[in-house]
Amino acid sequence: MMRKMNGSRRMSFVFRWVALLLAVGGAAKATTLARMSVAQMSHAAQAIVRARCVENSAGWDAGEIWTFTSFQVQEAWQGSVSGRIRVRLLGGRVGNLTSSVSGVPRFRSGEEVVLFLERTPRDDFSIVSWEQGTFRIRREAATDSESVTQDSASFATFDPATRLFEAAGIRNLPMETFRARVYAAMSAETRRKQ
Amino acid sequence: MKSSIAIGVMALLVFALLGGSPAEAYLMDTTVPQAGGCPAFDRWNLSLASPLNRRWSTSLPLGPPTLATVAALGSAAQLSEIEQVITDSFGAWSGVTGTTFNATNYPGLIAPLAQVSAASSCSNDAENNVDGLNTICFNQPSMGFSSGVLAFTRVITADAPGVSVGVSATAAFAGQILDSDTLFRPDGQATFATPAALATSPGAYDLESLLAHEIGHWFGFDHSAVWRALMFPFAPPPGQFLGSRPTAQAPDGPLSDDDRTGIRVLYPDPNDAVNVGAITGRVVPANPFALAAIPAPSSGGSVTGIFGAHVVAVDADTGAVIAGTLGGWSCDPSNFVVQFDGSFDIERLPVGHSYMIYAEPLVGLATPGDFSDALNDLCASDSAAPCTTPAVNTNFNPRIRPAVP
Repeated sequence: MMRKMNGSRRMSFVFRWVALLLAVGGAAKATTLARMSVAQMSHAAQAIVRARCVENSAGWDAGEIWTFTSFQVQEAWQGSVSGRIRVRLLGGRVGNLTSSVSGVPRFRSGEEVVLFLERTPRDDFSIVSWEQGTFRIRREAATDSESVTQDSASFATFDPATRLFEAAGIRNLPMETFRARVYAAMSAETRRKQ
Repeated sequence: MKSSIAIGVMALLVFALLGGSPAEAYLMDTTVPQAGGCPAFDRWNLSLASPLNRRWSTSLPLGPPTLATVAALGSAAQLSEIEQVITDSFGAWSGVTGTTFNATNYPGLIAPLAQVSAASSCSNDAENNVDGLNTICFNQPSMGFSSGVLAFTRVITADAPGVSVGVSATAAFAGQILDSDTLFRPDGQATFATPAALATSPGAYDLESLLAHEIGHWFGFDHSAVWRALMFPFAPPPGQFLGSRPTAQAPDGPLSDDDRTGIRVLYPDPNDAVNVGAITGRVVPANPFALAAIPAPSSGGSVTGIFGAHVVAVDADTGAVIAGTLGGWSCDPSNFVVQFDGSFDIERLPVGHSYMIYAEPLVGLATPGDFSDALNDLCASDSAAPCTTPAVNTNFNPRIRPAVP
């Protein structure tokens, strides 16, 4: 038999549930991904770029199906990259076969992103920590401003460069603030090496 | 039959409690048939006489070792300790009642766990020569391991009958899984500990938690947005584990109700009379013009509901989250066109309970990026009815609505 809740009990239930979600917000560690701060990803990346997705294709290499995404580099924040680059990510569809790997970001033609990139032995790129090293750019038409959101925005990260704890990853951060944070992380890394 | 609704969304949650309706949407990986058709769940063909094969490579990294065990490194006891974790991780899923994977009611569907010695047993690195053998590897390198990637599972499915890979069975339907492999990072950037060794292995990840999650991918699951679910994309930090350890009485202890519901949906037990309830409905905006700016997903099509809302069924008496799904689409089998109409369908719910339904945007603990594979799979550009999956709609605000009388 179904029973209906009265209004106050219903509201109480809702708020308890929402409170639970908020309470666990700091718990994070990817099943497949190690926690990495912006500084750590900056250190791991050979290139950090702002780029626009051009096209996707898929193909076999080394016993795996890969999705190859071409990006047009708009700005190189780190590394000497320009023009069109190719990023490979696990999974995709070739012929009658589909390879599925959860946690891998996918991109749409025309989409603008900031990517933390590592070179592969094939001289193309992979993304540092997959969705963690992927930041989608959103443009607010009303204010003509841009913000970035990390694909793994639920991820709690501590950034040693800024000594800030991002309880929910990076979400809707103004582009210039994000860029400044990345440059600060790179500068800190340079100083550390010296 | 009526049910309580605690939250509507920004507007309207059309809602019905039914018994055993066909699945239209759930948080599974799907495949669009090559010949055209609605997206089909990725799953094993359990009607085959041969059981699901499974094996693991006993080749373990040594420099440095990445598997922490109580037993001595390189000993037979170490292999036994690791194998017990693998067995328990499978046992968590095969311990769920109400599914044909249940080892008690349907013994023999999962083959005994075999061992192989080659390090690179999860593929042979020879272009498209996938072997059709389902393998767990701890010592196989891969270009997929960019910095920070600890482990991944690759699931190969067919999009048409008659397709096979290596020694796999020949596919009987689109979406049939032909090969699943799990690779753990072998280069020493991360350490994985058995439950017995976890407490004395600082910085190590709980092998059982990670492996049970990866095996969920073997069975056709994508990630879940339910925080407590084993299939939630984020696992406990090093040194910790979620849920309960499996026991003889409760082998499915590590799983949540959301995980259990999911495997019942994928592999329903025809003799199950308990978990046969379903809640279906649509999440739509109060103002339909709010959707007008969304690009058409297909020729002549339009987006008519909220796509990608996280819809959750909660037991009204206990508060337990029983199941969650990403709603937003349906498919009419008569014309094979995916409709992005805000539909959701939560199936295999225990009957005799009262449920509340939440619909929330994916802006909380999980985000659209956590589910890109499952969402993008809904459309295939080379199918008979191509479409483009719209962006997940997170631009709505849940609000309380009165229950439907």
